[in-house]
Amino acid sequence: MQTKPNAGLFKRNPPIAGEAEAIERAKNGDPDAFSKLYSLHKRRVYTLCLRMLGNVSEAEDMTQEAFLHLFRKLGSFRGESAFSTWLHRLTVNLVLMHLRKKGLQLVSLEETINPSEEDAPKRDFGSRDTQLAGSVDRVTLERAVASLPPGYRMVFVLHDVEGFEHNEIATMLECSTGNSKSQLHKARLKLRELLRHPDQLPEAESSREVVQ
Amino acid sequence: MSDFSNLDFDSMTAAEFEQYLPELFASGESGRLSEDPRLARFLTANPDCAALVRDLETIAETAKGLFASEQEPSDEVWSNIANKLKQQTDNGDDAVDLSE
Repeated sequence: MQTKPNAGLFKRNPPIAGEAEAIERAKNGDPDAFSKLYSLHKRRVYTLCLRMLGNVSEAEDMTQEAFLHLFRKLGSFRGESAFSTWLHRLTVNLVLMHLRKKGLQLVSLEETINPSEEDAPKRDFGSRDTQLAGSVDRVTLERAVASLPPGYRMVFVLHDVEGFEHNEIATMLECSTGNSKSQLHKARLKLRELLRHPDQLPEAESSREVVQ
Repeated sequence: MSDFSNLDFDSMTAAEFEQYLPELFASGESGRLSEDPRLARFLTANPDCAALVRDLETIAETAKGLFASEQEPSDEVWSNIANKLKQQTDNGDDAVDLSE
């Protein structure tokens, strides 16, 4: 059965000028075309790795792995989704594999994406003293996301930043859709707590930011 | 996915609201939960819950903006990729010269 292109993902990840031609040329082994694909997508892939891993060195290693993997798998890209969406999914799967190799494979992911009681958001979620004072700026939110426990951070980045649906996240994380929704909610509650004290948040690890 | 068609939103307690909230957010992704007419009376009667919904919406909306905020990897990343691909192809068919 042929998969229909996801219009929403194309809207969020519109094709980039010259990208389709570069993909076809790279499939045929043109090194300049692969170099162009790297230039077009390196920031998004690296930023995704950095947000998921929270560590510059690991994020650079995984960016390298993602593009090496892309070089080997490019022939299987059939254009049913936006190229960047396909590349991001490939990257997410590599990062998750990396995390499992680091130790998460010993327990079920359903458990490992649940943080300890200490990291969990407090139960008094509705009380006035947990409310945000007003709007949230992106730099502060980025720092707060980096402070989240890994399981919460993963689901939040995939859903709220990258735009993946809960069923896609559930497949990638090998958990239930309900678990993905629950983890996202807890992540947002935890962020609400963290954002009440922005002065206590650690500085972001990398400052080579490029805002488009 | 939960079915909310038989739920009486007006008589819902704050604890029930807490229980339903992850699913309510997930089912209302096309619109703002704070503007859902089914919840209007409940949120008016429960200002803390209303504030919670507004805060979580603010967080989710600000997060969408992070997508366009990107970081630049070091030049070393490309050097490593190019070297590895050159090694691979040197061992195989055609050598590939990947200089960005």
